[in-house]
Amino acid sequence: MSTLLASGPGLRQRGPGAWLAGLSTRGKAAVIAVEVLVMLALWQLVVGVLGWINPVFVPPPLAIATGFGELVSTGALTANAPISVQAWLTGFAIAVVTAIPVGLLMGTSLPVDRVTSPIAWTIYATPSIAYQPLAKAWFGFGIGPVVFLVTISAVFPILLNVAAGMRTTSASLIRAGQVYGANRFQLYRSIYLPSTTPFLFAGLRQAVVLATIGMTVAELAGSATGMGALIIKASNTYQTDQAYAAIGIVVIWSVGMTRVITLVERLVAPWTRKGHS
Amino acid sequence: MALPDIRTPETTERSMTSADTDVGTPLIQVRDLAVHYSHRRTGGSLVAIEDVNLDVTDGEFVTVLGPSGCGKTTFMNVVAGLVAPSHGQVLVDGKPVTGPGPDRAVVFQDYALLPWRTVIDNVRFGLEMQPHLRGTGWRERVQEAIETVGLAGFEQSYPRELSGGMQQRVGLARAIVAEPRILLMDEPLGAVDALTREVMREEIERLITATGKTVLFITHSIEEAILLGDRIVVFKSHPGAVKEVLTTGIERPRSERSIQSDARFLELRDHLWEALRGEATAAATRSSS
Repeated sequence: MSTLLASGPGLRQRGPGAWLAGLSTRGKAAVIAVEVLVMLALWQLVVGVLGWINPVFVPPPLAIATGFGELVSTGALTANAPISVQAWLTGFAIAVVTAIPVGLLMGTSLPVDRVTSPIAWTIYATPSIAYQPLAKAWFGFGIGPVVFLVTISAVFPILLNVAAGMRTTSASLIRAGQVYGANRFQLYRSIYLPSTTPFLFAGLRQAVVLATIGMTVAELAGSATGMGALIIKASNTYQTDQAYAAIGIVVIWSVGMTRVITLVERLVAPWTRKGHS
Repeated sequence: MALPDIRTPETTERSMTSADTDVGTPLIQVRDLAVHYSHRRTGGSLVAIEDVNLDVTDGEFVTVLGPSGCGKTTFMNVVAGLVAPSHGQVLVDGKPVTGPGPDRAVVFQDYALLPWRTVIDNVRFGLEMQPHLRGTGWRERVQEAIETVGLAGFEQSYPRELSGGMQQRVGLARAIVAEPRILLMDEPLGAVDALTREVMREEIERLITATGKTVLFITHSIEEAILLGDRIVVFKSHPGAVKEVLTTGIERPRSERSIQSDARFLELRDHLWEALRGEATAAATRSSS
């Protein structure tokens, strides 16, 4: 979209915009890398060298790197990260296997959609932390509440996107299916499902981000273990460098998993790949 | 300007067709067909088409010409089995149409290709849901259809990698791959650029003449209707109904260029132009009032 705009006739044929639009994928990655490095250097300069801001509030990048080293050497990371990963993967898997069939059903049947949709949107719109006390009451103090919050955060973006994908299936493709002899089952298999696939993956990407937020929130609010617990413990003992390092790891997980979803999409649905026509 | 010599009233047309062909029943019979769409909110209903009668003999190429919104697509959808008639019926080979069937294939104006399938798989879609064609030999059939429409070499391309004209060639290959008796074409060249449209008109003319298929071809282009049709069914709007049926009577093969100097072509074009202009003016008055 952005390349289309920038390379359109008469639009931005000179200047930095045109230069950026004309870059190759590798070139764009280099620009982003330089941008990040400059930002980190400025941050290091302002906090670490010049000391304009109290480093306890905003530790400089090099301190965070040291904090990361401490997390590794003290064994804090190996003690907490696997628990988070386990909770995240379990919660996400439950969300996926629940959301896809319910979403398909909602997208197929208008009555089901009318009944389910308001409930789904209400739960989706509620801040996930509001479920934390409930989750604790139901699932105790172990991994249970975390899994629950991951699931409840991830299930709705998937479900609502799948339902929307089903409903927006092109009427003319459905007609084509009928003309060439597809029965109800074949219509689903050959028209509705492939047409919904890009929506599913869009939902999965949103779900990854929300699941990570749900996980962190659950662990922050009273878990003894996990990355969230690590963040809160480090913060409470003024080891903000370690806290930031832990936050950074969570962010990298979140971004990494969205990339994984995109890679799976390219394998499963190669026709959605941009940049051809 | 009245031209009574080329006007063929529907009643005489019907008796003439059945006398000419000697095969008894026409392949497609449309009897007192009406389609009403109901408005859910107002409770009223809109008459899309009313009182349509038409016989199409085996192997005939019939073009359906009319202004947009005259119900010609609705008419075609009834023949395709996609829309149920509110009144009357359509018979194909003497049997009432109750749904789509392998004897009829449709070429859509917006191509309606499956974006997740390559050319070869899109064409295969035309036969894969028909048990008797699904077995061995489908590969040859598909390849033959692709070659017939001139798409050899593009088997592995996705639709979005092709131009509009090429996409419609895929739509055409998908329609002919299962060798239906009837081809229903809903403004197939409406979304194709002008130059490609002219080339493809002639190709369609040649292809259909060679295979002897029965065709209902919807269009709003007067030239296209004359160039392709054995007969032209002119629709009027509000409500959609048959205004008149004309026999072209121009020798085949026809070409875009040779037909331009044909006296009969010019005569038909003037007549249809007058007929459609009346319709268009009436439509414009209605929408402004």
